[in-house]
Amino acid sequence: MKNRPSIKIPFTQPHRITFSEIKALLFPTFRKHRRRLVIGFTALIVVDFFQLTIPRIIKHGVDGLATGTVSSAGLLRLGVFILFIAACVVGLRFLWRYLIIGFSRMLERAVRNRIFSHITGMDAPFFEQRTTGELMAHQSNDLAAVQMACGMGMVAAVDALVMSITAIGFMIAINPLLTFFALLPMPALALATRILSGKLHGRFATVQQQFSELTEFSRSTLISIGLIKAYTMENFQTSVFGTLGRKYVKSNLRVARIQGLISPLATLVGSIGMLAVLYFGGRLVVQEVISIGEFVAFISYLYMLIWPMMAIGWVANLVQRGLTSLSRINNLITSRPTLPDPELPEGIEPFSRPGFAMKNLHFSYSLATAPALSGVTLTLSPGIHGVTGRTGSGKSTLCKILTRLYPVENNTLFFGGSDVNGLPLEFMRSHIAYVSQEPILFSDTIAGNLAFGRPEASRKEIERAAESAAVHKDIMQLPHGYETVIGERGVKLSGGQKQRLALARALLCDRPVLILDDGLSAVDVATEHKIFQNLKRHFSGKTVIIVSNRIKLLSMTDRIIILAEGKIETEGDHEKLLDTNTLYQSMYVKQMKGEELRGGDDA
Amino acid sequence: MRNYGYSEEGDQSSIGDWHLWQKVLRFTAAYKFTLALAILISLVITAGTLTLPYLVQVAIDTCIVAPDVASQVRFSGLTKISILYGILIIGVFFSHFFQVQLLEWIGQSVMHNVRQRLFSHLLHLDLAFFNTNATGRLVTRLTNDIQNMNEMFTSVIITLFNDLLRIVGILVLLFWMNSSLALLMSIFIPLALIITVLFARLAREKFRAIRSQLAKINSFLAEMLSGMAILQLFGQQQRAETNFFDLSREYLNRTLAQIKLFGIFMPLSELMSSTAIAFILWYGGNEILRDRLTLGELVAFISYMRLFFQPLRELSQKYSVVQSAMASAERIFQLLEIKSTIVEPPSPVILPKKTSAGLTFTNIRFSYNHDDIVLDDVSLTLCPGQTVALVGTTGSGKTTLVNLLLRFYEPQQGKIEIDGIDIRNIALQNLRSIVGVILQDVLILQDTLLANIVMETDVGRDKVERILMQTGMDRFVNKLPAGLDTQIGEGGVELSTGEKQLLAFARVLCRDPAILVLDEATAAIDTESENILEQAIGDSFRNRTSLVIAHRLSTIRRADHIVVMSRGKIVEQGSHDELLARDGYYASLIAMDHQQAIDTGDSRPYPATR
Repeated sequence: MKNRPSIKIPFTQPHRITFSEIKALLFPTFRKHRRRLVIGFTALIVVDFFQLTIPRIIKHGVDGLATGTVSSAGLLRLGVFILFIAACVVGLRFLWRYLIIGFSRMLERAVRNRIFSHITGMDAPFFEQRTTGELMAHQSNDLAAVQMACGMGMVAAVDALVMSITAIGFMIAINPLLTFFALLPMPALALATRILSGKLHGRFATVQQQFSELTEFSRSTLISIGLIKAYTMENFQTSVFGTLGRKYVKSNLRVARIQGLISPLATLVGSIGMLAVLYFGGRLVVQEVISIGEFVAFISYLYMLIWPMMAIGWVANLVQRGLTSLSRINNLITSRPTLPDPELPEGIEPFSRPGFAMKNLHFSYSLATAPALSGVTLTLSPGIHGVTGRTGSGKSTLCKILTRLYPVENNTLFFGGSDVNGLPLEFMRSHIAYVSQEPILFSDTIAGNLAFGRPEASRKEIERAAESAAVHKDIMQLPHGYETVIGERGVKLSGGQKQRLALARALLCDRPVLILDDGLSAVDVATEHKIFQNLKRHFSGKTVIIVSNRIKLLSMTDRIIILAEGKIETEGDHEKLLDTNTLYQSMYVKQMKGEELRGGDDA
Repeated sequence: MRNYGYSEEGDQSSIGDWHLWQKVLRFTAAYKFTLALAILISLVITAGTLTLPYLVQVAIDTCIVAPDVASQVRFSGLTKISILYGILIIGVFFSHFFQVQLLEWIGQSVMHNVRQRLFSHLLHLDLAFFNTNATGRLVTRLTNDIQNMNEMFTSVIITLFNDLLRIVGILVLLFWMNSSLALLMSIFIPLALIITVLFARLAREKFRAIRSQLAKINSFLAEMLSGMAILQLFGQQQRAETNFFDLSREYLNRTLAQIKLFGIFMPLSELMSSTAIAFILWYGGNEILRDRLTLGELVAFISYMRLFFQPLRELSQKYSVVQSAMASAERIFQLLEIKSTIVEPPSPVILPKKTSAGLTFTNIRFSYNHDDIVLDDVSLTLCPGQTVALVGTTGSGKTTLVNLLLRFYEPQQGKIEIDGIDIRNIALQNLRSIVGVILQDVLILQDTLLANIVMETDVGRDKVERILMQTGMDRFVNKLPAGLDTQIGEGGVELSTGEKQLLAFARVLCRDPAILVLDEATAAIDTESENILEQAIGDSFRNRTSLVIAHRLSTIRRADHIVVMSRGKIVEQGSHDELLARDGYYASLIAMDHQQAIDTGDSRPYPATR
């Protein structure tokens, strides 16, 4: 076992985002909340000024004490003044935090909603190129990075800028030369934080990656614990897990080597500045160039500078990460579906009994080498059509093409007599009820799932659809009947039950076309028969397309189409195919073997 | 955003649980000297940090503000103090860095040991345990919970220790300099603690609310992504959008509530710090006027207060981390204390690989939950080399019989013997290497087909090819783009149900077990795979004791002996013709429509409970 299952998140490498793209993506939200932002940043700047006043008050006190010019009452006044400023700071800090960080969350929501809306409008080729994990990452990690950059990132940038400029201003006012010496190590700190946190990010990404590997490995091991035990792989798996674990430890230590440097480094740089103040500043006080109060205030300003200096490096990384994420999001949002979705042409009314026509239709999946459908010419008029063929012969592809999940060339596929490329997707799909091979149901009640396509359907209609799909009895046996919640956190259903629910959901829509893509494969034959009779009644005069590998089901259809390697091999009714087609014959022999045991009993 | 620790619903564990601390500490016993060294370094760092403001004070009082002393003396004194100051800060820097590395190393090593132990422990637990514990939760124990504990070790415990040491040191110094002023400052400690604990609790609530809403958004999105085609075909995009927008609005509201909470609490420590400075200036200033305090001491007081509030500011965050870490530790230890109900024999009998392999089940009685009897007094004998087919509807107990043979569960009554040896006396590894199983579900590694067949054994490529040829399975391999070297699994070629079972077959045959157990796939298999499978089954069952949970008539007919089960009992047995002639349950089962009897559309993961 050389390759371990590993999680790859294949992010598409985005092009660098341009300013006008950022503007288009974010500015509307900025503009919408401009008052909030203006007030927030004003509060932030005022806080900075207030904070910088405190060392000046201390200076007054210390100088007064040194020269003996301050009274007890004067000291009390200074103390109260500090308290007053501190109280203002508390209020203003709350204000900016709520306004600016709150804004970043609103921005996050706006982008999140936009991503979702965009995704729901994309077509199947789009989803083929992106994994679910990738799309999920856009709306979790990438959004978080953007939110951080626009929230704490903006705050820290403005705060650091205002704070450092003003603090340095105050320091220069006391003594320019001393300021120079004290600040000498500061740029080094900013640079070091920038470099270190950039490195940290890379190493941290490795840790995260290995953490997900560890998670995925434990998950895949534990989920198949029975198999692990049956094949006696316990020790083997443990040793692989150990290797992964050691790799993880190593990466963590690599992170610690940098992380452990940042905080002591900040302290060190602050202390070096302090040393400079002590030595040079001390001399200046002795030489009576500056007062002792100024000396003390200077120290306070120096402490106030440490945070902005660290913040500058941090902010730069934050913004960079935010921009990378933003370009990924932008890439996603600007992608266009390949399916044409024109306006409804003048004079076209909903079709009452539409059929399909294919004229020399070719189709290939983007990643595949061989075409999935080649040169298909076929008319599917009202009636019941069976479709069969080996795995990979193009049955499912046919269904996906008919439901307009994939694009086709002009003048190859017609619906109700019109080229599909001239019809709006929504218009066309509203004619088709579809049941897929893998029944996909949502975390909702049974009733909610069945009424998915027609939320306004009455309970009576829902039950009727369930009866047609032979699933009503099953539903009534569930703990809460139609109100039973299914899905991830709800009741588990069998494959056959799910398929019948998916069918009922489609039937409830009451549309003139039904496409069943092997949608009854897990339903037993007797039930299948019953369902077919219901369908026949329901859809008389409508177009029904049933993909299946079951001879019994196929034999009941009006016409059977056999696909092979993306082409129509032959078509005809049950009797004809039984006489002429070898594939059909072999399927028949296989499936009807059990039949003879029943002594020629008819189904 | 700061990490307030991962937490799960129902965390009730408290920081004061001494019992739990003992268990945690036991894991660190191997590292006690390194840990002692780290603590020693803590003392050095604290002493160094606290000496710095003192040096400034001395400098102010003896050199900077000492008008009575000659300038030259004051300058040289200042230089000496500055040099001392420089040495100290460099010393603190290196010890600090070294300490962080040391702690990370200890923490990571301890966590690695815990993780390995937990993983191995889990793999050796019985299946009944896995049926009642969701995989997701167990994975969380192995990953997030352990990560959480690590967080406590490295970043919290020692920094807390550092902080505590520093706070105590500062208080001592302050009392030494001016006791009444120090007393005044002490009132900030309980105040800070109360605020911290309160904030930590509230913040945890808020974060939990945010996390659960984010989880809702994520699962909604995941569901929509998986059902996107359905969503679009049914034209329900608008409705999904509305739902999603509601979810994201609620998320926004919850984050805003958290921002408000932070907005209130975050500036409080700043407020306390400013208040303390106001007090020092007013009260300390008065003390100077009364000549009970020097100016240098006043400045030192201000510096110490700054150092004093720094740890308090981060206390609430650390408090939360420790709390969630303790909860994680508790969950981990609970798991470690669970014992497997399947016990390895103290002195196992070694069965040779080429055992003659007669298999008997005697009076087996079993239930998964002690209520519903799944197997009721089942006795069954397989002579060496015989093929026995188990037939019956879902829930008749066929799979359970196999589960018991593999000792996934222990029967409540009766015994299973291989060659007359009770399987309870055979080591589990030995037993499971003698009994080869082909299950409906197949574990697929993300690797080549060859690697998937060979796995941990040392079977060579030639042998694999030979076996495949003999059983006709090379037809399946040749169909794949790169034959045996085809990458399968996630990111590679997706195998069909039939092909997966063929892979399982190949795997087992490479291991050449004396007893073969096959659980035939219930799901529809493509005709081609089925043809190959039929041949493979026929070839590999010859000369091997085999037990088949059969769903296909062809397989049933091939068996030497058919055992018909219903509701946990053997109701009939004999050959196909005999049983048909008897016109009993078997005949009715076949007549009932072959498909219906077996195809319930229910493909449960193996091994399953009820």
